[in-house]
Amino acid sequence: MTNEDLLIYFDEQLFLPDLLAKTKDDLFEEIVDQFVKVKYLKSREIVLEMLRQREKLGSTGVGKNVAIPHGRTTSASDIMIAFAKSKNGIEYDAIDGKPVNLIFMIIAPPQDENNMYLPLLGKMVEVLNKSKNRNKLMQAETFDEFMEILSKG
Amino acid sequence: MSLWKYFRKGKILEKKQLDLLVALQDLDMMIEEISEMKRLGFSADREDELLKAREDLAAKIKKPLLYSYEKLKKRYKRAIVPVKEDNTCLGCFIRLPTSMSSIGRTDEEVIYCEGCGRILYWLT
Repeated sequence: MTNEDLLIYFDEQLFLPDLLAKTKDDLFEEIVDQFVKVKYLKSREIVLEMLRQREKLGSTGVGKNVAIPHGRTTSASDIMIAFAKSKNGIEYDAIDGKPVNLIFMIIAPPQDENNMYLPLLGKMVEVLNKSKNRNKLMQAETFDEFMEILSKG
Repeated sequence: MSLWKYFRKGKILEKKQLDLLVALQDLDMMIEEISEMKRLGFSADREDELLKAREDLAAKIKKPLLYSYEKLKKRYKRAIVPVKEDNTCLGCFIRLPTSMSSIGRTDEEVIYCEGCGRILYWLT
Protein backbone atom coordinates (compact mmCIF):
# COMPACT_ATOMS: atom_id res chain seq x y z
CA MET A 1 0.00 0.00 0.00
CA THR A 2 1.33 3.43 -0.94
CA ASN A 3 0.79 6.69 0.89
CA GLU A 4 -1.49 7.82 -1.93
CA ASP A 5 -3.63 4.71 -1.41
CA LEU A 6 -4.04 5.72 2.21
CA LEU A 7 -5.63 9.06 1.39
CA ILE A 8 -8.93 7.68 0.13
CA TYR A 9 -9.82 6.48 3.62
CA PHE A 10 -9.91 9.99 5.07
CA ASP A 11 -12.73 12.47 4.97
CA GLU A 12 -12.67 16.13 5.94
CA GLN A 13 -15.72 15.56 8.11
CA LEU A 14 -13.67 13.11 10.15
CA PHE A 15 -10.81 15.55 10.67
CA LEU A 16 -10.90 16.83 14.27
CA PRO A 17 -7.84 19.03 14.84
CA ASP A 18 -8.88 20.27 18.27
CA LEU A 19 -10.48 17.60 20.46
CA LEU A 20 -12.40 18.73 23.50
CA ALA A 21 -12.12 15.36 25.28
CA LYS A 22 -10.01 15.13 28.39
CA THR A 23 -10.27 11.40 29.06
CA LYS A 24 -9.89 8.28 26.94
CA ASP A 25 -13.58 7.44 27.11
CA ASP A 26 -14.61 11.01 26.23
CA LEU A 27 -12.21 10.82 23.29
CA PHE A 28 -13.91 7.66 22.01
CA GLU A 29 -17.33 9.27 22.36
CA GLU A 30 -16.33 12.50 20.64
CA ILE A 31 -14.88 10.72 17.61
CA VAL A 32 -17.59 8.06 17.34
CA ASP A 33 -20.26 10.77 17.54
CA GLN A 34 -18.68 12.35 14.51
CA PHE A 35 -18.71 9.04 12.62
CA VAL A 36 -22.42 8.70 13.43
CA LYS A 37 -23.12 12.31 12.48
CA VAL A 38 -21.68 11.84 9.01
CA LYS A 39 -23.50 8.51 8.69
CA TYR A 40 -20.54 6.15 8.51
CA LEU A 41 -21.85 4.26 11.53
CA LYS A 42 -25.30 3.14 12.49
CA SER A 43 -24.99 2.52 16.21
CA ARG A 44 -22.97 4.70 18.55
CA GLU A 45 -23.32 2.35 21.52
CA ILE A 46 -22.29 -0.81 19.67
CA VAL A 47 -19.16 0.84 18.30
CA LEU A 48 -18.22 2.34 21.67
CA GLU A 49 -18.61 -1.09 23.22
CA MET A 50 -16.38 -2.62 20.54
CA LEU A 51 -13.67 0.02 21.12
CA ARG A 52 -13.79 -0.45 24.90
CA GLN A 53 -13.51 -4.21 24.51
CA ARG A 54 -10.51 -3.72 22.23
CA GLU A 55 -8.79 -1.77 24.98
CA LYS A 56 -9.34 -4.71 27.34
CA LEU A 57 -7.22 -6.82 25.03
CA GLY A 58 -4.37 -4.32 25.22
CA SER A 59 -3.97 -0.58 24.86
CA THR A 60 -4.11 0.89 21.37
CA GLY A 61 -1.92 3.71 22.66
CA VAL A 62 1.11 2.61 20.64
CA GLY A 63 3.54 5.03 22.31
CA LYS A 64 5.22 8.28 21.22
CA ASN A 65 1.99 10.21 21.92
CA VAL A 66 0.04 8.23 19.30
CA ALA A 67 -3.10 6.10 19.61
CA ILE A 68 -4.70 3.99 16.90
CA PRO A 69 -8.02 2.75 18.30
CA HIS A 70 -9.48 0.33 15.80
CA GLY A 71 -11.86 -2.50 15.13
CA ARG A 72 -14.31 -4.15 12.83
CA THR A 73 -17.97 -3.61 13.49
CA THR A 74 -21.14 -4.84 11.87
CA SER A 75 -22.43 -1.32 12.36
CA ALA A 76 -20.06 0.19 9.77
CA SER A 77 -20.78 0.50 6.08
CA ASP A 78 -17.28 1.32 4.86
CA ILE A 79 -13.74 1.38 6.11
CA MET A 80 -12.86 4.89 7.28
CA ILE A 81 -10.27 6.65 9.40
CA ALA A 82 -10.86 9.63 11.65
CA PHE A 83 -7.97 11.84 12.65
CA ALA A 84 -8.10 13.76 15.90
CA LYS A 85 -5.61 15.85 17.77
CA SER A 86 -5.45 16.87 21.39
CA LYS A 87 -3.13 19.80 22.01
CA ASN A 88 -2.86 19.14 25.74
CA GLY A 89 -2.65 15.37 25.50
CA ILE A 90 -4.95 12.73 26.99
CA GLU A 91 -4.09 10.03 29.52
CA TYR A 92 -4.60 6.83 27.53
CA ASP A 93 -2.79 4.05 29.38
CA ALA A 94 -0.43 3.89 26.40
CA ILE A 95 2.32 1.29 26.27
CA ASP A 96 4.97 3.91 27.14
CA GLY A 97 2.75 5.63 29.72
CA LYS A 98 2.82 8.93 27.83
CA PRO A 99 -0.31 10.98 27.12
CA VAL A 100 -1.71 10.85 23.61
CA ASN A 101 -1.89 13.79 21.21
CA LEU A 102 -2.43 12.16 17.82
CA ILE A 103 -5.34 9.78 17.36
CA PHE A 104 -6.22 7.77 14.27
CA MET A 105 -9.46 5.85 14.75
CA ILE A 106 -9.90 3.10 12.17
CA ILE A 107 -13.32 1.50 11.80
CA ALA A 108 -14.00 -1.29 9.32
CA PRO A 109 -17.05 -3.33 8.34
CA PRO A 110 -17.02 -7.16 8.69
CA GLN A 111 -16.34 -7.64 5.00
CA ASP A 112 -14.39 -4.76 3.54
CA GLU A 113 -13.80 -4.92 -0.18
CA ASN A 114 -10.32 -6.26 -0.99
CA ASN A 115 -9.77 -6.89 2.73
CA MET A 116 -7.90 -3.63 3.23
CA TYR A 117 -8.34 -3.29 6.99
CA LEU A 118 -5.18 -5.07 8.15
CA PRO A 119 -2.87 -3.59 5.45
CA LEU A 120 -4.30 -0.19 6.34
CA LEU A 121 -3.53 -0.65 10.02
CA GLY A 122 -0.01 -1.74 9.11
CA LYS A 123 0.47 1.30 6.89
CA MET A 124 -0.69 3.67 9.62
CA VAL A 125 1.78 2.12 12.06
CA GLU A 126 4.55 2.56 9.48
CA VAL A 127 3.70 6.23 8.82
CA LEU A 128 3.40 7.07 12.51
CA ASN A 129 6.67 5.37 13.41
CA LYS A 130 8.52 8.23 11.71
CA SER A 131 9.14 11.10 14.10
CA LYS A 132 9.12 13.69 11.29
CA ASN A 133 5.56 12.65 10.40
CA ARG A 134 4.40 12.87 13.99
CA ASN A 135 5.97 16.30 14.39
CA LYS A 136 4.37 17.59 11.21
CA LEU A 137 0.97 16.16 12.12
CA MET A 138 1.12 17.99 15.44
CA GLN A 139 1.41 21.21 13.46
CA ALA A 140 -1.34 20.46 10.91
CA GLU A 141 -4.29 22.80 11.32
CA THR A 142 -6.22 22.17 8.12
CA PHE A 143 -7.37 19.06 6.30
CA ASP A 144 -5.31 20.01 3.25
CA GLU A 145 -2.14 20.31 5.31
CA PHE A 146 -2.93 16.98 6.93
CA MET A 147 -3.42 15.22 3.59
CA GLU A 148 -0.22 16.75 2.24
CA ILE A 149 1.75 15.33 5.16
CA LEU A 150 0.26 11.88 4.72
CA SER A 151 0.83 11.84 0.98
CA LYS A 152 4.52 12.49 1.48
CA GLY A 153 4.92 10.53 4.72
CA MET B 1 -46.34 -18.42 3.58
CA SER B 2 -43.04 -17.09 2.28
CA LEU B 3 -39.88 -18.21 3.97
CA TRP B 4 -39.13 -14.86 5.52
CA LYS B 5 -42.60 -14.68 7.04
CA TYR B 6 -41.98 -18.12 8.48
CA PHE B 7 -38.81 -16.88 10.08
CA ARG B 8 -40.56 -13.82 11.47
CA LYS B 9 -43.32 -15.82 13.05
CA GLY B 10 -42.93 -15.86 16.77
CA LYS B 11 -39.61 -14.09 16.60
CA ILE B 12 -40.56 -10.66 17.84
CA LEU B 13 -37.81 -9.65 20.16
CA GLU B 14 -36.79 -6.52 21.90
CA LYS B 15 -34.34 -4.33 20.02
CA LYS B 16 -31.62 -5.05 22.53
CA GLN B 17 -31.29 -8.70 21.52
CA LEU B 18 -30.23 -7.74 18.00
CA ASP B 19 -27.79 -5.18 19.43
CA LEU B 20 -26.33 -7.88 21.67
CA LEU B 21 -25.90 -10.22 18.71
CA VAL B 22 -24.14 -7.50 16.73
CA ALA B 23 -21.84 -6.76 19.69
CA LEU B 24 -21.11 -10.49 19.94
CA GLN B 25 -20.14 -10.67 16.28
CA ASP B 26 -17.89 -7.61 16.72
CA LEU B 27 -16.18 -9.38 19.62
CA ASP B 28 -15.79 -12.59 17.62
CA MET B 29 -14.13 -10.68 14.78
CA MET B 30 -11.73 -9.11 17.27
CA ILE B 31 -10.85 -12.48 18.79
CA GLU B 32 -10.21 -13.93 15.30
CA GLU B 33 -7.70 -11.20 14.49
CA ILE B 34 -5.66 -11.21 17.71
CA SER B 35 -2.62 -12.82 16.12
CA GLU B 36 -2.71 -10.28 13.25
CA MET B 37 -2.85 -7.45 15.78
CA LYS B 38 0.22 -8.79 17.53
CA ARG B 39 2.03 -9.18 14.22
CA LEU B 40 1.37 -5.52 13.46
CA GLY B 41 2.93 -4.57 16.79
CA PHE B 42 -0.22 -3.78 18.77
CA SER B 43 -0.60 -4.73 22.40
CA ALA B 44 -3.02 -7.68 22.44
CA ASP B 45 -2.00 -9.91 25.29
CA ARG B 46 -5.13 -10.09 27.41
CA GLU B 47 -7.07 -12.56 25.30
CA ASP B 48 -8.61 -14.09 28.43
CA GLU B 49 -10.31 -10.73 29.15
CA LEU B 50 -11.99 -10.83 25.75
CA LEU B 51 -13.05 -14.44 26.13
CA LYS B 52 -14.60 -13.58 29.49
CA ALA B 53 -16.37 -10.59 27.94
CA ARG B 54 -17.71 -12.87 25.21
CA GLU B 55 -19.00 -15.34 27.78
CA ASP B 56 -20.76 -12.56 29.71
CA LEU B 57 -22.29 -11.13 26.56
CA ALA B 58 -23.46 -14.51 25.27
CA ALA B 59 -25.18 -15.17 28.60
CA LYS B 60 -27.45 -12.17 27.97
CA ILE B 61 -28.70 -13.53 24.65
CA LYS B 62 -31.74 -15.79 24.51
CA LYS B 63 -30.64 -19.38 23.99
CA PRO B 64 -32.44 -20.12 20.70
CA LEU B 65 -31.04 -16.93 19.19
CA LEU B 66 -27.55 -17.69 20.41
CA TYR B 67 -27.81 -21.21 19.01
CA SER B 68 -28.92 -19.81 15.67
CA TYR B 69 -26.03 -17.31 15.71
CA GLU B 70 -23.44 -20.00 16.51
CA LYS B 71 -24.79 -22.30 13.80
CA LEU B 72 -24.68 -19.55 11.18
CA LYS B 73 -21.21 -18.51 12.30
CA LYS B 74 -19.97 -22.05 11.89
CA ARG B 75 -21.43 -22.24 8.41
CA TYR B 76 -20.61 -18.78 7.06
CA LYS B 77 -18.00 -17.35 9.46
CA ARG B 78 -20.17 -14.21 9.77
CA ALA B 79 -23.66 -14.89 11.08
CA ILE B 80 -24.90 -11.32 10.72
CA VAL B 81 -24.65 -9.47 7.44
CA PRO B 82 -25.34 -5.84 6.67
CA VAL B 83 -28.07 -4.74 4.33
CA LYS B 84 -27.24 -1.67 2.30
CA GLU B 85 -29.45 1.19 1.11
CA ASP B 86 -30.59 -0.65 -2.01
CA ASN B 87 -31.94 -3.47 0.14
CA THR B 88 -29.32 -6.01 -0.89
CA CYS B 89 -28.15 -8.69 1.53
CA LEU B 90 -24.36 -8.37 1.59
CA GLY B 91 -24.07 -12.07 2.31
CA CYS B 92 -25.68 -13.49 -0.83
CA PHE B 93 -26.51 -10.28 -2.72
CA ILE B 94 -30.20 -10.99 -3.25
CA ARG B 95 -32.60 -8.06 -3.25
CA LEU B 96 -34.83 -8.19 -0.22
CA PRO B 97 -38.54 -7.34 -0.32
CA THR B 98 -39.35 -3.73 0.60
CA SER B 99 -41.84 -4.93 3.18
CA MET B 100 -39.03 -6.79 4.92
CA SER B 101 -36.81 -3.74 5.08
CA SER B 102 -39.43 -1.51 6.70
CA ILE B 103 -39.54 -3.94 9.62
CA GLY B 104 -35.81 -4.66 9.55
CA ARG B 105 -34.86 -1.00 9.82
CA THR B 106 -36.52 -0.76 13.21
CA ASP B 107 -34.16 -3.41 14.65
CA GLU B 108 -37.11 -4.72 16.64
CA GLU B 109 -37.08 -8.17 15.11
CA VAL B 110 -34.36 -10.57 14.20
CA ILE B 111 -34.88 -11.21 10.50
CA TYR B 112 -33.14 -13.87 8.46
CA CYS B 113 -32.28 -13.55 4.78
CA GLU B 114 -34.53 -15.65 2.62
CA GLY B 115 -31.59 -16.33 0.30
CA CYS B 116 -28.78 -17.39 2.61
CA GLY B 117 -30.46 -17.63 6.01
CA ARG B 118 -28.09 -15.20 7.72
CA ILE B 119 -29.26 -12.61 10.24
CA LEU B 120 -29.84 -9.25 8.56
CA TYR B 121 -28.72 -5.91 9.94
CA TRP B 122 -29.92 -2.78 8.19
CA LEU B 123 -27.30 -0.06 8.13
CA THR B 124 -29.68 2.74 7.16
